[in-house]
Amino acid sequence: MIEITITEEQRDCLQELINVAMGRASDKLARYLETFVHLQVPHIELVSSSELPQAFAETYGDDSVTLLSQGFYGQDGITGETLLIYRADHTKNIANILGYEPDEVSEMEQLTDISSILTTTFLNGLAEQIDNQIAYSAPRVISSSETSIEKHLQDLSFNWELALKVAISYQVTDYEFNCDMVLLIPGVAIENIQQVLDQILEEY
Amino acid sequence: MTLSVLICDDSALARKQVKKSFPENWNVDVRLASNGLEAINMMREKIADVLFLDLTMPELDGISVLELLKLKKLANYVIVISADIQPEMQKRVTELGALAFIQKPVNSEKLSQILEEYGLL
Repeated sequence: MIEITITEEQRDCLQELINVAMGRASDKLARYLETFVHLQVPHIELVSSSELPQAFAETYGDDSVTLLSQGFYGQDGITGETLLIYRADHTKNIANILGYEPDEVSEMEQLTDISSILTTTFLNGLAEQIDNQIAYSAPRVISSSETSIEKHLQDLSFNWELALKVAISYQVTDYEFNCDMVLLIPGVAIENIQQVLDQILEEY
Repeated sequence: MTLSVLICDDSALARKQVKKSFPENWNVDVRLASNGLEAINMMREKIADVLFLDLTMPELDGISVLELLKLKKLANYVIVISADIQPEMQKRVTELGALAFIQKPVNSEKLSQILEEYGLL
């Protein structure tokens, strides 16, 4: 087991970078959906790969969810994965929000559009603040009704023991639609991001 | 006369960023609060002429702070500095009596411009 600890200053610094990135993402989403997006303070913690599926199961229980998983690759070894999680009973509301007729645009297409807006705006916002450039892979869609989310999380954490996990919630309260974003920065990338955070902290 | 200002943000880094963006030679007394509740208690004691307020915070968020300040008629000069840049949020804070909205990360020129506009320099 690798020993990694994150200091209070580093956590605070990362949280502020995340705040700005998620603020931009929620602004884009709010404009796209023409509604207000409620934000909460993001939650940051270190998680081990073994506890990841368990933590996921505890949050979502037996609820049917759709997950969009997308890898990202920045300079200086800043890499990781973004997960966007939608509850099935909420996805029904998106067509309503967007004013689509039933069957006009598939639910999956709507989720993909929303995910793309959130992920790209968020990652670009983060990259800009740390003077980095981030590329991303194509998103993979995993629906809990077809595939096991647990299996995907196990595959995802195959190469690492520990990850920095950032949990963000975008809540469209007017329509009962939530999107949870989980950012995973695993293994050696934790130390790389710590270096970036330390550099920022030195400036202040 | 020395102005007293209060910076309210749950992030230590953000508080430092705001302080660092103040104009050079701005003669102020700076106090800090790390959540809305602390800020309200300090504002009650009328210790600050200008409040720099974050919105997304634990305990008591910035919107609640603005509502309370308005209710208790404690609002002096409030400048919101937030990452939540949705147009509706900017409208809400202005309606609640904030003088201005500055998006994070704070830009020192923009801040100076606002301070000058309201004769706070």
